[in-house]
Amino acid sequence: MREIKNHVDELFKKIPDSEQKELIKQEILENLEEKVADLMAQGKKEEDAINRTIVEFGDIEEIEKELGVSQPTKKNMTKFDLGFSILGSALIISLFVFINFYYTPKTIWFVYPTFAVLWWPLSMYYRWLRQ
Amino acid sequence: MIRSDIIRGHLDSIILRLILEKDQYGYEISKQISLKTKDRFQIKEATLYAVFQRLEKKELIESYFGNISHGGKRKYYTITTFGKAYLKETVKEWQETKEIIDLFMEGLD
Repeated sequence: MREIKNHVDELFKKIPDSEQKELIKQEILENLEEKVADLMAQGKKEEDAINRTIVEFGDIEEIEKELGVSQPTKKNMTKFDLGFSILGSALIISLFVFINFYYTPKTIWFVYPTFAVLWWPLSMYYRWLRQ
Repeated sequence: MIRSDIIRGHLDSIILRLILEKDQYGYEISKQISLKTKDRFQIKEATLYAVFQRLEKKELIESYFGNISHGGKRKYYTITTFGKAYLKETVKEWQETKEIIDLFMEGLD
């Protein structure tokens, strides 16, 4: 039965230690040992029983996925980005307006850069809508 | 053996159903699945214990330690009220799914 224990140890090696891991490892080990004993009771040689049990175990990644430290979901920043872009563009536009009316009050040109700057909040708005 | 990815989607229900009949431990369940399906479907241990984890996290089943077996305590699983309700729902859903798929699959050989 040592092979079974070694195999289970090997399988669980890459899963980060936790109390839960130890519990499930213990549970699996016991159940696998019972399976081996059961197969042997059905007339299999110990070696065959152990090999079959190991082969039939499957992919440890399934358990890893369930135990896995839940990946921190990436915080949704789109709303913040939208707010920032609106504020930022408002500041830039007001700078243009100020320069326009302070230095060249007779020609209104601030509208042109304003259109250019508005692409920024517009794209952020689209990104926010899409998520 | 049968292609298992269709069954895979219903493993939660299959295991809940087996636990509903009586409280059971891991190996007992995998043995029953093989027995009931006459070895046409076998559950891999890795899958089984992943399902236990998931069901326990969802509070559909609970576990407790039972009698001492080969040198250790056996971990038994029991279904919760919530689990029973969930199972009832999935059974209804399955019936409906089956009817729909049958509409297209029946009558051909």
